[in-house]
Amino acid sequence: MLVELNDAEIVRQIGTGSSREAEAELFRRMAPRLRLYGLRHLRDEQASDDLTQEVLITTLEALRAGRLREREKLASFMLGICRLTVLGMRRGAQRKERLLEQFGPDLLPASQPSTPQLDHGQLAQCVQNLKERERTVVVMTFYDEQAGADVASFLGISEANVRVIRHRAILQLRQCLGVAS
Amino acid sequence: MTTGNAGGSVVCSRPLDAALLADYWLAVLLAPDEEAVELHLLQCDPCGARLREVIALSKSMHRLAREGSLRMIVSDASIQRAKDEGLRVRQYDVPAGGSVQCTVTAGDDLLIARLAANLAGAQRVDLSLCDQQGREQLRLPDIPVHPGSDSVLYQESITFAKAAPDNVMIARLLAFDESGIERLAGEYTFHHMRTMPGPGA
Repeated sequence: MLVELNDAEIVRQIGTGSSREAEAELFRRMAPRLRLYGLRHLRDEQASDDLTQEVLITTLEALRAGRLREREKLASFMLGICRLTVLGMRRGAQRKERLLEQFGPDLLPASQPSTPQLDHGQLAQCVQNLKERERTVVVMTFYDEQAGADVASFLGISEANVRVIRHRAILQLRQCLGVAS
Repeated sequence: MTTGNAGGSVVCSRPLDAALLADYWLAVLLAPDEEAVELHLLQCDPCGARLREVIALSKSMHRLAREGSLRMIVSDASIQRAKDEGLRVRQYDVPAGGSVQCTVTAGDDLLIARLAANLAGAQRVDLSLCDQQGREQLRLPDIPVHPGSDSVLYQESITFAKAAPDNVMIARLLAFDESGIERLAGEYTFHHMRTMPGPGA
């Protein structure tokens, strides 16, 4: 079961150049994680998919060539590639077509974990149940996308206090929605 | 922050809590903290799943706020943001002691009342929503008020307003001083006239 292999073993097997299964496992394992990185930094699902593909293919090239010497540092290695790729994407550098042509789409993961769907009516009730300041903070944060300093200025409190209120509100919302672990 | 097994692990030895992941999603972490979170997320599926929940919450909150169905205090920046997004904002500015004829139409997205008041020295402000006889129906305690502000922006649920028949609502801003003594900072009367068809019209 390749799923039980740790990252270092995956890296080793890919480095031998003979394990198509290890490559597929790398893609299966890392694609959802990379997509989250992309969503965070690019705020766009299509761009996140593009980033995922590019980082995976760049990583695979490097592993096949044995360029990762410290095998247990795969995550760190890929994080570096993520950063460079985001920079490249922001500069408009698109290598996707060439890379896809070279490697083909067969290695790319067929599906990604989707963002969970929340019960909208239940969320509305949960938000309405928050204290006034908590409700204002979460709406200003998630809708207005206002920085902590702006929210703090509006409320006349410190940024640290805004953070505390936001954390408390998120915890309460998750508990109310039944998703808190 | 690492998982016990940096592989296809389903068990996380040091799970990141949702609040931290929300900070990550909101891009408010310092660079070293952000790097630590990202390194963890590249090795941990349970925390990735939790981040997806945070993203879902963020998206749902955005949708909820756009619907205008929340009763809450908002900021000028929030209203401007809504306008920038193309939402139609119906706003009534009411002086303390004033009254206004108001309505809401099908094309309106948000319903806002700017309640002017002298809130100087207030340690806490409550917003009390009353019926025509002045009987309190709902109280929003300890509302967020910017120090030195001369008004409060109250968002009424537009879903509620669109469905409401003709009625009168009295809003009161109640300011509390350091010793907890309450004073009426402003009273505002809204004569709502329904212009949309439907039950109660």
